Amino acid sequence: MRSLADRATGWLARGVIVFLYVPIVVVVVLSFNDSDVTYKWAGFSTRWYGVLAGDTDLLSSLRVSAEVGVASATLATAGGLLAAMGMARLGRRFRAVFSGGLFLPLVIPEIVLGVALLSVFGTLRADLGLTTLVLGHLVVTLPYAALIVLGAHGALDPALDEAAADLGCNAWQRFRRVTLPLLRQPLVAAWLLCFTISFGNIVMSTFTSGVGTTTLPLRVYSLLKGGLTPEINALGTLLVLFTFLIILGAGLRQMRRVLVGGDGTPG
Amino acid sequence: MPRRAVSRTLLATSFVASSALLASACGGSGATATSSSGGGKNLNIYAWAGEVPDSVVKGFEKETGIKVTVDTFDSNETMTAKLSSGSSGYDLVEPSQYTVQQLIGQQLVQPLDHAKIKGLDNLAAKFRDPSYDKGLKYTVPWIWGTTGFAYNDKCVKSATSWKTLFDSKYKGKLYMLDNMLAAYIAGLQVTGHRATSTDKDQISEATSVLQKQKNILAGYNSTNYPQLLASGRACAAEAWSGTAMAKVVQSDSHVHYVIPEEGGSVWTDGLAVPKGAKNTTSAYKFINYLLRPEVAAKATDDGSSASANQAARSYVKGKAALNNPAVYAPDSAIAKADFLLDPGTAMQYFQQGWTKVKAS
Repeated sequence: MRSLADRATGWLARGVIVFLYVPIVVVVVLSFNDSDVTYKWAGFSTRWYGVLAGDTDLLSSLRVSAEVGVASATLATAGGLLAAMGMARLGRRFRAVFSGGLFLPLVIPEIVLGVALLSVFGTLRADLGLTTLVLGHLVVTLPYAALIVLGAHGALDPALDEAAADLGCNAWQRFRRVTLPLLRQPLVAAWLLCFTISFGNIVMSTFTSGVGTTTLPLRVYSLLKGGLTPEINALGTLLVLFTFLIILGAGLRQMRRVLVGGDGTPG
Repeated sequence: MPRRAVSRTLLATSFVASSALLASACGGSGATATSSSGGGKNLNIYAWAGEVPDSVVKGFEKETGIKVTVDTFDSNETMTAKLSSGSSGYDLVEPSQYTVQQLIGQQLVQPLDHAKIKGLDNLAAKFRDPSYDKGLKYTVPWIWGTTGFAYNDKCVKSATSWKTLFDSKYKGKLYMLDNMLAAYIAGLQVTGHRATSTDKDQISEATSVLQKQKNILAGYNSTNYPQLLASGRACAAEAWSGTAMAKVVQSDSHVHYVIPEEGGSVWTDGLAVPKGAKNTTSAYKFINYLLRPEVAAKATDDGSSASANQAARSYVKGKAALNNPAVYAPDSAIAKADFLLDPGTAMQYFQQGWTKVKAS
């Protein structure tokens, strides 16, 4: 007999899952709505997918968001890795100062960072565009990437690196053949997190985007005033589908690993 | 082993992709710089979403061969922030009337050369010499609309006055726009003052009315109030005319949009050339293109907005829009309506009052 508390927790968990997934289901269902407005059902139709396919503005902002996401996630992950490796070599006091500086952007409100960056770009006479947008997103994502990679790097067994050195590996070989493979999973995790943060970012993008670089969230936000159509739901549905495919891909790989009998540790 | 190879390629690909991207980004901005100094085959526009329809942009590109980039903003303040950086790269922006005054004051826009503009006499009389930009020295009005309110006749029989929004009969079913200046239009006019008032006492009177009103409001909302009206969750709501409201009025016969008898207010979004714009030749070409009646009519047909171009009305294909008050308010209703102006130093009274309203 399960206790009352157990059952309550069970129901709570179900409630939370429903709460998390209901909005996604609603988005998907309403994307097949044959109405001009999102809130009223007017029969099944796929016409909004057709509208979406012809909407160059929305698709170009989707492309901008994807490009900025990939660029800033990659730079942030690389930066996080370098920070983690560099900080391991620092003395305790320097490390404290350095990590404080690295994580400061997490504490400062993003709007302050955005305004500050905008005035920096203004002073430098730098044209606002893809480059400034990526730099802005880098400020937001770098602390997250550093946090993840730093934690994983700190948990590495230094003996592995030493062993590689004993066996005659030089610094580059040790990085390439020992450290990097060991950190592969946290690096991938950091990259995906940074990409997600960048993809959904709105505050920093407001200040650092320029000619031709309106990101997807900015475009959708500016559409609010005129009222949203199910076209946005169609776009949302495709993004959900895309995410599911990625997760499915990762899941399949994991499954295969289990079937083959590997234990997941590299090497 | 294959597992490792896959993710290694993934990592490598993304590194390559991102470095290529950065390179192209630099190349891209360089290209813009050269072509613009070479005579302007580009045009960069920063506008409200949906107010410069795609069909207009495509038509202009086809006719002139100029490549147009349209970016959209969500508020006048966002646009002002970009311009104040001094390196926004835009050749045309679309500020609302009170922002025009601010942009002129901060010297972020340049005076228009009227010798290069053709077709200003197509504009409706109300927009030829507006109070916010005398003689249209800086802007060419493009889209206009009104601030009024809307109601659902299943709940409110009929309404012509702001008083509806202050009627405790509809307690919990009333909404106001979540916008300081818009809320004060109602607050000032319901107490018998003009929406353009900058008088401290009048503003504080409006503040206390708005404070009292808050008790009967369901909330402040400037995003999905048209839906709330259609679904009946709102009896009446302060509202902006335009695409969202027009759609609901058209599709739901119970929802009505009204310019209150106290006056309401007219807003307009016009085109201005920012200081330091590089492609001014293209910018003037675009302004002239928009001033053509048959082009301006597309703002109504493809964008569900009211065009400031009087001559355009006979070119509008969807005649229903011309009689939809949530798109074109009747001339008689807007005769009394003021343009909402930049309150200047009186802004602080509004801000202090609004803080009180929101905190009460």
